[in-house]
Amino acid sequence: MNNDQITVVKVRGVLMVILPSDPDDSSIQSLQDRAMAGLEQHDSKALIMDISAVEIFDSFFARAISETAQMATLMGARTIIAGMRPAVAITATQLGLALKCVETALTTDQALAMVDLGRKRGWRK
Amino acid sequence: MAKMNPPLDTLVTEIQINTEGDIVLSRRAVREYTIFLGFGVTDTARIVTAASELARNVFKYAGQGALYLRSLEAPGKIGIELKFVDSGPGIPDLDMAMTDGYSTGGGFGMGLPGAKKLMDEMEIQSVVGQGTTIVLKKWRNS
Repeated sequence: MNNDQITVVKVRGVLMVILPSDPDDSSIQSLQDRAMAGLEQHDSKALIMDISAVEIFDSFFARAISETAQMATLMGARTIIAGMRPAVAITATQLGLALKCVETALTTDQALAMVDLGRKRGWRK
Repeated sequence: MAKMNPPLDTLVTEIQINTEGDIVLSRRAVREYTIFLGFGVTDTARIVTAASELARNVFKYAGQGALYLRSLEAPGKIGIELKFVDSGPGIPDLDMAMTDGYSTGGGFGMGLPGAKKLMDEMEIQSVVGQGTTIVLKKWRNS
């Protein structure tokens, strides 16, 4: 089973990045390029990173996510991380990992609702 | 999941760390081993994360090395031991390397201190120019 590929897809104007359960370092490194290219190509104002499958979140992975969010902010998009598993949240906190420029949601569904709400309030188109 | 008491001394696993892909293989081997020993989901995440940090250190700083996994048995408890061995450049200043946020490799500087926080015990032996051996232990809450 191939379980290290990152999926990038546009859903109703939102760029959705779906992360696999255990991506290798080069997949993680490709995350930034693919997300930025997707934002530009689709003119998206929001980036949702679905990490519900992710079982491990070490400092390398956290750095990639954090930097991707900072880049997306520079490109005028908000970033929402969705679906972090409890064990991952506990481990990340214990490690002292901090994510900058990032909003979070319990599920991707909620993340999409946050984007919709932002649009209704005219926060971003 | 039922907690098992496997035949402990028979379980030694060795994983060579020579390529970036071996970091993933190390994580998978540790995950399987941890689950086999009956660790819960959260402890498994802690142990696998610590393993990932140190396997990456071996690859990044030493280029190659090995991870040895074995189970531990003590009165009333069992545990897992992860031993990372490399013959790389060694760690010149262990106190600095154990400081949060200190890095010579462009990372977050969380590899060593992070691994220590996630595990119950950590021992480092490092000789500059000869290599580094790091032993991590985690006991299972029963």
